[in-house]
Amino acid sequence: MTDTNPSWVRTLAVCGVLVLIQTDALADDDASEHHAHAARRTTISTTQQYAIPEVRLIRDDGVGVLLPAEMNDGRPVVVNFIFTTCGSICPLMSQVFGQFQRKLDTDARQPHLLSISTDPEEDTPGKLRQYAQRFGARDGWNHYTGTVEASQSAQRAFDVYRGDKMSHTPVTLMRAAPGRPWLRIEGFLTPDELLQRYRQLLSTG
Amino acid sequence: MMMRGPYARPLRLRALCAVLALLVAATTHAGVGETIYRQGILLSGEPLQAEREPGMHIEGATAACINCHRRSGLGMTEGRRAIPPIAGRYLFHPRAANADELDLPFVEGMKADRDPYDEATLARAIRTGVGADGQPLSYLMPHFQLDDVQMASLISYLRSLSPGPVPGVTTSVLHFATIITPDADPVKRDAMLEVLTKFFDDKNRYTRAESPRLHSSRRMMFKVNRHWELHVWQLAGAPQTWEAQLRDKLATQPVFAVISGLGGRTWEPVQHFCEAEGLPCLFPNVDLPVDRQSDFDSLYLSKGVLLEAELIAHNLRASKAGASIHRVVQIYRAKDIGKDAAAALRTALHDEAMTVVEETLGAGASGHELNALLAKSQPNDILVLWLRKADIAALGRPPARVARVYLSGRMAGLEQAPLPGKWRGLTRMAYPFNLPDRRRVQVDYPLGWFRMRQIPVVAEQVQADTYLVCAIVSDAINHMVDTFVRDYLVERIEELLEHRIITGYYPRLALAPQQRFASKGGYIVRFRDSNGTSLTPEGDWTVP
Repeated sequence: MTDTNPSWVRTLAVCGVLVLIQTDALADDDASEHHAHAARRTTISTTQQYAIPEVRLIRDDGVGVLLPAEMNDGRPVVVNFIFTTCGSICPLMSQVFGQFQRKLDTDARQPHLLSISTDPEEDTPGKLRQYAQRFGARDGWNHYTGTVEASQSAQRAFDVYRGDKMSHTPVTLMRAAPGRPWLRIEGFLTPDELLQRYRQLLSTG
Repeated sequence: MMMRGPYARPLRLRALCAVLALLVAATTHAGVGETIYRQGILLSGEPLQAEREPGMHIEGATAACINCHRRSGLGMTEGRRAIPPIAGRYLFHPRAANADELDLPFVEGMKADRDPYDEATLARAIRTGVGADGQPLSYLMPHFQLDDVQMASLISYLRSLSPGPVPGVTTSVLHFATIITPDADPVKRDAMLEVLTKFFDDKNRYTRAESPRLHSSRRMMFKVNRHWELHVWQLAGAPQTWEAQLRDKLATQPVFAVISGLGGRTWEPVQHFCEAEGLPCLFPNVDLPVDRQSDFDSLYLSKGVLLEAELIAHNLRASKAGASIHRVVQIYRAKDIGKDAAAALRTALHDEAMTVVEETLGAGASGHELNALLAKSQPNDILVLWLRKADIAALGRPPARVARVYLSGRMAGLEQAPLPGKWRGLTRMAYPFNLPDRRRVQVDYPLGWFRMRQIPVVAEQVQADTYLVCAIVSDAINHMVDTFVRDYLVERIEELLEHRIITGYYPRLALAPQQRFASKGGYIVRFRDSNGTSLTPEGDWTVP
């Protein structure tokens, strides 16, 4: 299934345009995290067009689902990729998702949060439920596992596949509604920043 | 003179407090720092608290240093991030002009051109995220709330991490042991040892003379080619004596790690020894591994019969025959591993509405007794036979109206299981490996290696696994460069394993912190014909 979008969006996305780089008081990195100037936190936002692959994943409640159906039920979606035995990046991303979800409590349009495991053979639905609980996940935030091939297809479709689970980088993806373009944010966001980007995306469509 | 009266109690209390204070002081630098580092728990038992920025609070195990800096304190690489080493010698080492002048073993993320930390600047870094040079540290580094006493304990622990020379490593030799229990199969023992010996011979072919340490670019600090020496630790006597034997052997001949090995009924004393000594125990050939979440040093290729139990449970649930299942009857020999496998299956079926019963066959019972036991089966029973090849070969006529039979592939001999033709239509087998036709290329590589070295193939899976383990350890040692730290060896294997192309009997292998079994799934198979070794999988590769 492919989302439909105005051709200008596709063109810009293909050209890698619509790039927004935000440098906050802290952050991003390249080779060495404790390097002096590595301490500033930078996020890079781009608008992208992704074809959601027709892969079957297992949701954290043990039910087999198709990824397009999970993403195209009409709700805005916010997506990340994690694995439960990850030590540094994933717990931070999941903490941000958890706090983001709680901050959204009063919003009329609740998004569907999807966290897809990049280590699906280890991350059984039961382990994903435990992990979700650790970060206070509420209804509306699901974790997904499946076969290695299905997980990799999903990762490739959203250009987050880096060959193995330890090579991952922090990426958050969001889309206001089926058929709309995706906002891709690389780097670490705070819960407030994620909330701001999310509301901005919804207000601009 | 003993004091009595109203002052006695306060004095006793004071004495008690003094003793407690002494105890606290004694433990301050030993255990407290380690508990903060590894578990995120403070001396008071309260969780360690930290923040990345206002509102981004973490605590307890999530905040523990070990998550990022690893047990070795040597850091790790995740994505494009090299999380730096924080073992003491990396923090306090004087500034060097470049990496070549830095007289420290190479790890990713180490810094040469940085002012050394002292106690005060390190405490500042841990509390406020400001580095030795006054610049902010990475965003990933939380700011921890620690009082002076606990900070001192943590810093003391960091100083103790990955200190210096490791037993079993000399400037020219790397010592390994392989451990064999007295009840191990003698054929598999010899087969495994031949693979190990030939692999070590190959490794040593080019290291007859000591090579000089090679200097190189900043990111590559090679390295002495060390001679690999294998010590065979053959255990004797009862399992309760094994740990003492192993301690003696280690004291006599220190080794860097334990490679491969072969077990029988239990591996528990060996694992207990390795964990107590902090000795990596790398992928022994055992059908019944020890599954203990808290253990670190013991890695396995597979969860063995425990995985088979989970596969059978998964198949029983998935087949939706649950409603019509009358009983699950598990049969195993006394003094064999089937007992543990049966317990694992019982646990896995705990939430199902099924009656699970176990029948024990005496250790010396005959095939006739086995068949007499089977004859007691009731209509619609599901039989699970945790039995070895000889028992499978002795099976007589299948009991009437038994619904289904499951075998343990590892115990029965995989596709070579001598299952009589009359049982084949009824029987499914847990098969925790890649299927024979799908693993051909992966196994051809070790088989070719055996042929070239004239190693007879008498226990293919054990030999292929042993070769695989040698290759995995060799890769990891290469990636360690000269940084011989036992915890770091385990951590390197965790990181590297996923990249292996030749994975032998397994479709893929992967580990991570808290993952101790590299292959996670398997198949349920049936025999295609009434004789022969052709298999038909029932469904896809399954991770139960």
